Amino acid sequence: MTRFDRRDGVYLAAAALGIGGVVIAGDAYALRIASLVGIYAIAAIGYQLVFGRLGLLSLAQGAFFGLGAYASALLTVSAGLPVPVGLAAAVVVPALAAAVIALPIARLESHYVALATLGLAQLALLAATNLEFTGGANGIYGVPPIVTNSITIGPLDVGSVTIAALVVPGGWVTLISVWFGVLAALLVARAVTRGDRSAVLATLDNAPHAAAALGLNGTTARLVLFAVAGGLGGLAGGLQAHGLGVVSPAVVGFEVMVTILAIAVIGGRGSPVGAVLGAALLIPLPEVFRFLEGSYLIAYGVVLLAAIILMPRGLDGWLRDWFPRRAPAVPAPRQSTSKRPGKPLVVQGLVKRFGGLTAVDGVSFSVPAGTVVGLIGANGSGKTTTLNLISGLERPDAGQIRLGGEPLFERPAHHRRELGLARSFQHPEFPTGLFVLEVAAVAAKDRAVAMAALGRVGLADRATSLVSALGAAELRRLDLARALAAEPGALILDEPAAGLTAEERAALAVLLRDLATAGLAVLVVDHGMDFLLPLSDRIVCLEAGKVIASGPPETVRQNPAVIAAYLGSGAAA
Amino acid sequence: MIEAAAQLAVNAVALGAVYALVALGFVLVIGAVGAVNFAHGELVMLGGMVAVGVASLLPADLPVPGLLVLPAVLAVMAVAGLFVAGVAYAPLRRAPPTSVFIATIALGLIIQHGVTAGIGPEPRLGPPMIDSGTWHFAGIGLARQQLATIATAVALIVGVHILLQRTRFGRRLRAAAQDSEMARAIGIRVNVTVAVSFALAAALAGAAGLLLSNQYLVTPTDGAMLMLKAYVATVIGGWGRIWGAALGAFAIAVFETLVAAWTSYLVAEALLYVGVLAVLAFRPKGLFGEVEGRRA
Repeated sequence: MTRFDRRDGVYLAAAALGIGGVVIAGDAYALRIASLVGIYAIAAIGYQLVFGRLGLLSLAQGAFFGLGAYASALLTVSAGLPVPVGLAAAVVVPALAAAVIALPIARLESHYVALATLGLAQLALLAATNLEFTGGANGIYGVPPIVTNSITIGPLDVGSVTIAALVVPGGWVTLISVWFGVLAALLVARAVTRGDRSAVLATLDNAPHAAAALGLNGTTARLVLFAVAGGLGGLAGGLQAHGLGVVSPAVVGFEVMVTILAIAVIGGRGSPVGAVLGAALLIPLPEVFRFLEGSYLIAYGVVLLAAIILMPRGLDGWLRDWFPRRAPAVPAPRQSTSKRPGKPLVVQGLVKRFGGLTAVDGVSFSVPAGTVVGLIGANGSGKTTTLNLISGLERPDAGQIRLGGEPLFERPAHHRRELGLARSFQHPEFPTGLFVLEVAAVAAKDRAVAMAALGRVGLADRATSLVSALGAAELRRLDLARALAAEPGALILDEPAAGLTAEERAALAVLLRDLATAGLAVLVVDHGMDFLLPLSDRIVCLEAGKVIASGPPETVRQNPAVIAAYLGSGAAA
Repeated sequence: MIEAAAQLAVNAVALGAVYALVALGFVLVIGAVGAVNFAHGELVMLGGMVAVGVASLLPADLPVPGLLVLPAVLAVMAVAGLFVAGVAYAPLRRAPPTSVFIATIALGLIIQHGVTAGIGPEPRLGPPMIDSGTWHFAGIGLARQQLATIATAVALIVGVHILLQRTRFGRRLRAAAQDSEMARAIGIRVNVTVAVSFALAAALAGAAGLLLSNQYLVTPTDGAMLMLKAYVATVIGGWGRIWGAALGAFAIAVFETLVAAWTSYLVAEALLYVGVLAVLAFRPKGLFGEVEGRRA
């Protein structure tokens, strides 16, 4: 994102408009509103990381806001420390708290994320209202402002010229400090979602199975994004405490959370700049709807409802329709220099039960490096489950899986890529809104390697297309390219030829043969016998979770058990 | 002593029966659309307010005012439920469940603050089901309101049970909840089952609001707390399991009443949240898990 994006021009114009408006209005009231916009923008920028990027509907961002407010107020009022120390604590304390809850929260099913975070927020509210050191329902009074008076800069003597003294009134100093905070928040948000991290986060969020098979591990991302979100929420709370001079349990209340959520949705889910725009639109609303008095939240409710129905991608998404993202630069394709040797895949006595059903029942076979093995069998015979066990999406009840001699059994799915395993899916999932090259590069060492992988599957000329513009057959090739870009030693494919034309199947067969010749162990599940039999060195046939035949294609094809169970009598003729 | 214990027990059962009604509606919507209805607590509050309003239209000296008001509350709230479905679900049928969740958060805000703006933030007293007297059993006095609450809630729960388990429509509703695509494929009109689920959920919420409004009064800010308890009940009873959630809600009310009698309501509430967080930390799928079934 180093190049200028035309959308950013719109944001800069909006910022100029906002600054102009505040300068022209210039009164204390306008300054206060503008500061409040900045404060909520900071909290919402943080929230975008968890809600937008990790895709978790957390309802704890308001609690982090409150935690920051209380941390700073307690340190400056009760302990008498200077304001900057208080603000530092307002960042650190919520960031730590967020890091502690990040992993248990991210592990939850999506419908319990909201409940768990709401429970935490509820506990924070109970603590704020009922503990003695937080001042109970009254809260804490006399929180010192960021600056007490106006600041005088100069007069400056530059050589023989004297620049007159500039007096900056206190309201402006607060406003400028807050908006420096906004700028810092935007930079931090950009840093943690920079470059290929964005694509990795999108894959983890929208395509979790693919992410696991590609070896993407969300643990670090979750920790970092939660902590940054908590820190920014806390900073916003701290700034508000010093701005208002008072902290009451209301800062932990649900109203703050709903305001942040509404800003994030209206600004555009996942977009930090959108959060600033959302705050600028939403925070002054209560002033417009003053006749509603305390019930300005009706207005927030209406706006939030309208936004989620009419503009689900928010203002930023709407701007994106007008000013699409620029396609990434296309590097020259480069095969990896460190050529990974092929790795034999050995499966022994694999068993998987689902309740009373034994889907895989003692399956053993091996895929030597440099060969293609075809796995066949009727629907429900256990082929996909076998692939899921090998790639770690399901845990076997018994048996061994070895890749290059290394046991995979106890390894989580995301470790298997490092060991050299990659797979493609029968129904591949893709993150939305990304370019083909970004998707292909998600597990690659760099984009040049991803470009080479796109070239191998014949998608090089589509590198700068959006994934949403690809047809079904192209998506399957992209899934394969994404796996190849991880430079595996063994590759497993689930029905790669389904839905392809005869020409495409021929090209795919050539590609898989080439990969095997280059040393890879290739395991292919497919129903197209005209595709699979000529391609494979060996065929393994499953029936009701058991291997009923294995050997060279010709032998298996004439095996009476295989004909009876799967091929049908016409096939042997 | 015995009298106090008996009253406490009746109190706990009455609250439990009402919470079960609330959770039943909450989980019906989860089943129908796979999303949390965050405004469900607001519907309970709204039901209480409707009860207060309708009761104020009746002559003051009528017997069994609450029972008279009940059909009106059920009808008005069923319409409110259809409204919720039309506004917060229908336009978002194809959107992810999170969108429905957020839409219901918005709707909850509108209902809560709309009621506050309309009639003010004061708590209001709803009509008693029968009257405010007591019945005496073996020398123990028990409030008629409590017993009538239990009887009404149980009758409604039994009614829902018969509807869901014994009727063709109930089977369709459960089928659509388990697998809406399959249900659609075999000719069940899923839109109808969804609309009825919302209407039924809101009617039950309204009845719960009426039952709570006499003993606990009804305040516009009550909703969030009630919704949270229903939500917690799904952790205990299993996500999307209708009778599990109702039992879970009953357990929560008993726990709350007993702990509050022993210490304070505050401690009971805090312990409830700590408990649910502990459950989720160690059993991320809820206390009894949920139906498995994932295919890559």
